Amino acid sequence: MASERQIAANRRNARKSTGPRSAEGRKRASRNAYRHGLTLSIASTAAFAKQLDKLVREIAGDSKDAIMLERAREIAQAELDLARVRRAKVALIERASAFGELDPAQAFSTVTEIKRFFNALDRGRLIVPKPTDPSATMPSQEPDRTAEAVRRVLPELRKLDRYERRAAVRRDLAVLDFLIEYNANTINSCARAKRSQFF
Amino acid sequence: MPRINELTLLPKLPLLITESADEFDALRDAFEEEIKPRGIIEQIYVHDICSIVWEIRRLRRCKVVIINSAFRSALEHLLARLLRQPGEYEYDVEDEAQALAQVWFTDEAAKKRVSELLSRVELDESAIEAEAIRKSSSELELLDRMLTSLESRRNKALGCVAEYRASLAQQLRESTDRIIDGKGVLRLEDAASQQSTAA
Repeated sequence: MASERQIAANRRNARKSTGPRSAEGRKRASRNAYRHGLTLSIASTAAFAKQLDKLVREIAGDSKDAIMLERAREIAQAELDLARVRRAKVALIERASAFGELDPAQAFSTVTEIKRFFNALDRGRLIVPKPTDPSATMPSQEPDRTAEAVRRVLPELRKLDRYERRAAVRRDLAVLDFLIEYNANTINSCARAKRSQFF
Repeated sequence: MPRINELTLLPKLPLLITESADEFDALRDAFEEEIKPRGIIEQIYVHDICSIVWEIRRLRRCKVVIINSAFRSALEHLLARLLRQPGEYEYDVEDEAQALAQVWFTDEAAKKRVSELLSRVELDESAIEAEAIRKSSSELELLDRMLTSLESRRNKALGCVAEYRASLAQQLRESTDRIIDGKGVLRLEDAASQQSTAA
């Protein structure tokens, strides 16, 4: 167990570990938790924002009601999120099919290879392992090549599947909300139309 | 290749370069013919169903190919055990097992020899398939989970179309009934009394 002095020293030292100080370091650290960007709002790019607006207009029709427009926006946003995840899935498979794997091959792929390298170095020999080419182990014929690519990116596809499911649930809930709003609007507009017959 | 009949507002489903856009269009046409979507929301659901079904097909194809491509190593593994004599290690017969597994796919004599080896321990060729499935079980499990998730989403989307249609029809009916019954609108006598008060 740490003594009082050790605990105090640890606390003092911890105060010095406050992460990067330079602007460049801070910028780099700000992207530490970034994985694939699928949780970013799609409206964050101009092209998507334009596509989103068009879809919102199509869903909401002639309505100028702010709530209806907001519901339509939720549906459109979820729909475009779904499309984005689907594109990411296909891109991953295509990449694995082209390169054999997603990340570039490392000089040492196993701990044994690293040990072997240092043992040889101790004996005064420098044996640099030949870089392995993952694409060389890909089948050349279809559909085997695509299947192998899918096999190699299965864990990533499974993760993307989670995002896809969430986007689908968001869209379905937004459709329900839209229907409720549509109903309320229909009643109001019918009532207004009926009223206008009498006045 | 440009895709025909695609609703321009909805994002196109990205296909792998090895997949046929015509086949996808045919699938979408079949679903549109069956469901006859009315309005953008129903079109969104039909688009979703087509995309999910397409992905289910893609993964099912992969599943078969993954099992098939594990056949050779499964056969090598089985042969290494079958060829081994008492007192021998598997690596003593590794080369022979590899050579036999290599020609098993094309050579009738090799097929016969493998069948004989298998029948010695009362096995047949289904043992090779079982070993291939065992070898790729972790990938098959992941694929199965993804397929289950996709199938449940497809069923949900189909249910959503029906629910949306029924709900919309119900709401329109209720709105019409309210208008006919005069609920939620001012009655003629109320309107008359309001006019007289104003006067």
